[in-house]
Parts: sequence; structure tokens; C-alpha cells
Amino acid sequence: MNASIIGQMTVSGALMGLVYALIAYGFQLTYATSKSINFGQGELVMVSAFFSLTLMNLGVPYWLMIPGGLLFGALLGLIVERAGVRLALEQKSEGWILLSIIIGLFFFSAAENIWGRDDRPFPTPISADPIHVLGVDVTRLELSVAVGVLAIMGLVELFKRRTLLGKAFEAVSADRDAAELMGISATRTVMLSYGLSGAVAALAGILVSPITTVGPTMASALILKAFAVAVVAGLDSGFGVVLVGMFLGALESLASFYLGSGWREAPGLVLLILALAMRPTGVFGKATIRKV
Amino acid sequence: MLQVEDLHAGYGASEVLTGTTLTVKQGTLVALIGANGAGKTTTMRAISGGLKPSSGKVVLDGQEVQGLDASRIARLGLAHSPEGRKVFGPLSVEDNLLLGAYSRLPRFFGFQAKAQADLDRVYELFPKLRDRTKQAAGTLSGGEQQMLAIGRALMARPKVMLLDEPSMGLAPVIVQEVFRTIRRLKEEGITLLLVEQFAKSALEVADYAYVMERGRIAVEGTPAELSRNERVIAAYLG
Repeated sequence: MNASIIGQMTVSGALMGLVYALIAYGFQLTYATSKSINFGQGELVMVSAFFSLTLMNLGVPYWLMIPGGLLFGALLGLIVERAGVRLALEQKSEGWILLSIIIGLFFFSAAENIWGRDDRPFPTPISADPIHVLGVDVTRLELSVAVGVLAIMGLVELFKRRTLLGKAFEAVSADRDAAELMGISATRTVMLSYGLSGAVAALAGILVSPITTVGPTMASALILKAFAVAVVAGLDSGFGVVLVGMFLGALESLASFYLGSGWREAPGLVLLILALAMRPTGVFGKATIRKV
Repeated sequence: MLQVEDLHAGYGASEVLTGTTLTVKQGTLVALIGANGAGKTTTMRAISGGLKPSSGKVVLDGQEVQGLDASRIARLGLAHSPEGRKVFGPLSVEDNLLLGAYSRLPRFFGFQAKAQADLDRVYELFPKLRDRTKQAAGTLSGGEQQMLAIGRALMARPKVMLLDEPSMGLAPVIVQEVFRTIRRLKEEGITLLLVEQFAKSALEVADYAYVMERGRIAVEGTPAELSRNERVIAAYLG
């Protein structure tokens, strides 16, 4: 039980935790504009991963497959919004919870029928050989997860801050009715957020698949952890999910090493319960300043 | 420029507007006054599309707009500075202003340059905002937020501007400043529909005024006429 093993576990766990953070970030995007989230987000991760795998099997090179996969994920996000969420939001009902779960189940069955129930390897040109950094071994594959997650989150944040469309996105989050008065269509902004959220889910699938393999149930554990991260960090906290995601990932990795692999799922659930009991707005939930 | 004919609207089963009719001619400032709950803000919301009218017409620059989405009506040239100001709290002052011009700016790049002339105009009108371009709008004082809300509506270069209770919750000195601004907008030829609780001040700046009671127009006339009307004096100017 020496320090280098702890360091090793912490680092590789934290890198995997970034995937939870990315999925949680997808929840934040739609929550910001519509106060709704897609409970079938895990199925978006999984179906997009299968689709990306199919693209590669058809001969599309890895780097070209990524934009294709992202577009497909965005399309799935738009379907969820149009077929489920919008109907419920128009009625001012909470029906989006059930509808998004149902659409997720539909995607799940579709995936089982199209691609089968077996887990399949996901080829990648990125090497899994360890490289030695500051006393711990990390693989290029693990690093690619970190780079991919931070890159897309950075891009989306840049979009929100630097483009007028992105500022409109923020305006709808801040005050939907006032945004409408500026000529900003809230409906379209919600669509945009679901599209972005779907693309983010697809990237999570593409990044994690080479490590976990692709199968219909690949996202069920992931999604639970992403929920925990979103709730612990707060649904409006931007980069808070990154910290919480890495923290949870590291904790899981240490728990499964020291307590046995059966304990792997425990830290996420414990964190979730603690957060709900002690700080329901999330550790990084913003206290908004508003003078009236 | 703006005609409202026999407008009915309400929330659920309760009808608030029971046949409102009013006209705002181009380049004039029209005041809408009346007691709390008379339906002034509801009228504004029904005009700008935040509330769908159940019947009646809203004609903006010759085009019927009743029943359209608020964002669509805004793109057709109506700017509504809502009651309670409703600035985008987490966004900066400048972002708030840029979003005011959303419908006529490019969505991705170059919007800053294209809006610069309008920004300068708003900053010239409200020099206090110029010092705070990067500050979060939610941290401004009430008066500054009101200036920002007016500036944001101006950025749209609207055909008609609706100004709902701009003096609400402000200190008397600031209220005077708000009315100076309104007078200035009028001099610039902006077509304005103003809702105010301070009936006296509103009548001082208006070209024409409507008095609302229980969801419809009870009395209308020029400010001079209204100031001679005993009913109006008793109820609002006493």
C-alpha cells in the first residue's frame, strides 16, 4: 500500500471521472434553457457509440467518424426534444421526466435489435501503452478522454460567451420571457440546447467506448454517476462538474482497489445522498445576486 | 403605428381585458394610466405576445400581430421594456444591450462592430452605463437597471416601444431622471406607449392618454382634456 499506488489509482480514476463530468455537463445545458433534463441521456451515449462504431466498420476513419458521431448525437437530442420534452413543456407539465425515460427505452430496444446484446470492442488509433508522468503511469487513451472532455466543454463555453447566439442562450437561461421580448425564440434555444447536449453525450460515448467496450448496457452505470455528479455539483455550476467528476472518479477507483470491486458504485451513491441531504442546490450551486 | 381593437385577454378563466381599444400614432407618446389591477400591464403583455389575446386585434405598422409568439412580434419592430425591468442578471451590461438588438445582428461574429453605433448612442443617453459595461446587470442599482432596460429596448431601433412602469420602486430623484429620459426619447421621435402609476408625471409628458378601469378604456383625451375631467382628477390626480 504505497503512495505510488494511491497516486496511480487517483489519477486514472479522476481521468475516467471526466466522462461523468461530460455527461453531467449535458444535463446542465438543457437544464439552463428549459429546466428539464433528458433522463434517457445514457441511451444517447450508447446509441451514438454504436453508430460511431458502425461508421468505422463501414470504413470511415476514426477522426472523420468523430464529427459524424457528434452530429448523430445532436440529431438524437433534437428527437428527444421534439418528440417528448417540448410536448410536456408546452403543457407546463413535468411529463418530460416520463417521456424522456420512454424515449430512452425505445432507443435501448432499437439498439438491441439493430446491434445485438453483446459487448463489442471499439477500435481506436490512440495507443493504450502507458507513459510515465510524474511517477504515475497513464495511457494516451486516458489522456485522450481528458483532452476530449475539456476541449468540448471549452468550445461550448466559448460559444456561450463570444457569440450572440450563445449570449441569447444565456439570456433564455436567465429570463425566458424577457428573452422572448428581445426577439429570441425560446423554443429554438431549447432545441439548440438539446442538440448540444446530444452531441456532448455522443462524445462521451466515443471517448469512453475504447476503454469500456460498446454494448446496450454500457451507459447504465455511467448515467447514474453522471446524475450524482450533476446533483453534487449543482445543475448550474459550469465547471463545478469537472471537479466533482474527477473527485468521484478517483474515489471510486480507490474504493474498488481497497474495498473490492463490489464497492465501486458505492461512493457515487453516498455522495448523492449526502448532497441531497446537506446541500440540495449543489456544492457549486450559484447564489445569484439580484437587486430589485 | 400601433392599433389595439377590442382586445380581450386574461389568465385562465378570469378575463382581465374586456375590450380594450387604443391607438398610438407614429412619433407620439401615449400614456396608459389607471388604478392597480385595471389591466395596464396585461394590455402591454397582450400587445407584445407574452399573453395570447382571446379575441380582438393588435395591428403593428399595418400588420396584424395578435396571437403571434412574443419573439416574432419583437422581430417585427415592437420593443417591450417590461414591468420589473427584467434585465438579464448574470449577463454584463453590454451583453444585455447587444441582446436588445438581437433580431438585426449577425448571430456568430461581427455583431459587436455592427452594434457599435447603437451602443454609443445608448451610452451617450445613459453615461452611467458606459462605466459599467462589463458589470453583471443584476448587481446594478434599481435606477441603473431601469436605464439598462430602456437602453436595451432602444437597441432594437423599434417602430413602437412599450414602457411598463419605468418608475416602479425607484427613489423620487431617480423617478425624475427616468421622466427626463422619457421626454428625451419623445424628442427623438420614438413612438411610445407608457404605462405609469404616477399619472400626473405621465400626463405631463404625454401627447395623448387613456385611463383604464376594470379591463377597458374608461376615459381618453389629450392631457389638457383629462386634467379638466372631474372623474379623472378625483381618481388619479387628486
